[in-house]
Amino acid sequence: MAGCSCGCDGDCETNLIYACSGAANTGHLADQVMRALSRDKAGSSTCLAAMGADLSGFIQSARNATRNIVLDGCKVGCGAKIFEKNGIPFKQFIMTDFDVEKGKTPITGDLIEAVAERISGQIKS
Amino acid sequence: MKVQILGMGCPKCKLLEEHAREAVAELGIQAEIEKVMDTDAIMDMGVMMTPALAIDGDVKSVGKVLTKDQVIEYLKGGK
Repeated sequence: MAGCSCGCDGDCETNLIYACSGAANTGHLADQVMRALSRDKAGSSTCLAAMGADLSGFIQSARNATRNIVLDGCKVGCGAKIFEKNGIPFKQFIMTDFDVEKGKTPITGDLIEAVAERISGQIKS
Repeated sequence: MKVQILGMGCPKCKLLEEHAREAVAELGIQAEIEKVMDTDAIMDMGVMMTPALAIDGDVKSVGKVLTKDQVIEYLKGGK
């Protein structure tokens, strides 16, 4: 869980991270980058599928988050569309904007860390 | 009707529970008020910040201490 709001007087940051996790290599990358960002405390990973399924707890958590970070695999942008549908603010990162070609680029540990580092530096900008 | 207060027992969670009990009393309705303190159960409901309020399994509010009047609005089916 991202946290209890009891100790922060309501001014603490809660960044929630959602990843595409689709079938292609880009979905794989988005998923792994989300886990790296969560590991590095850039935010808390949560469930994009639950958002798509309109599960109330996830929707309300997104509405109350400081930032919703959506990691889409490709320009189809399914994650972004889910947030647009619900009228919830978000910041989108698309894996193919990081020199990754859908269906071709091998997803390696080095690539995951490099993309995570680049996104981490842009989350608050 | 089932009203759930989700949180690990912090002062804000207790305050939300208090407001929920006051709201139920003011409306004079029959409602079971349940405290959900188990982290896994809270996470299963998709709640990433506490305290949270759910009515009949539908999460209405996350990370806020609703006032009694706000809880009343939710209990009336508003918002």
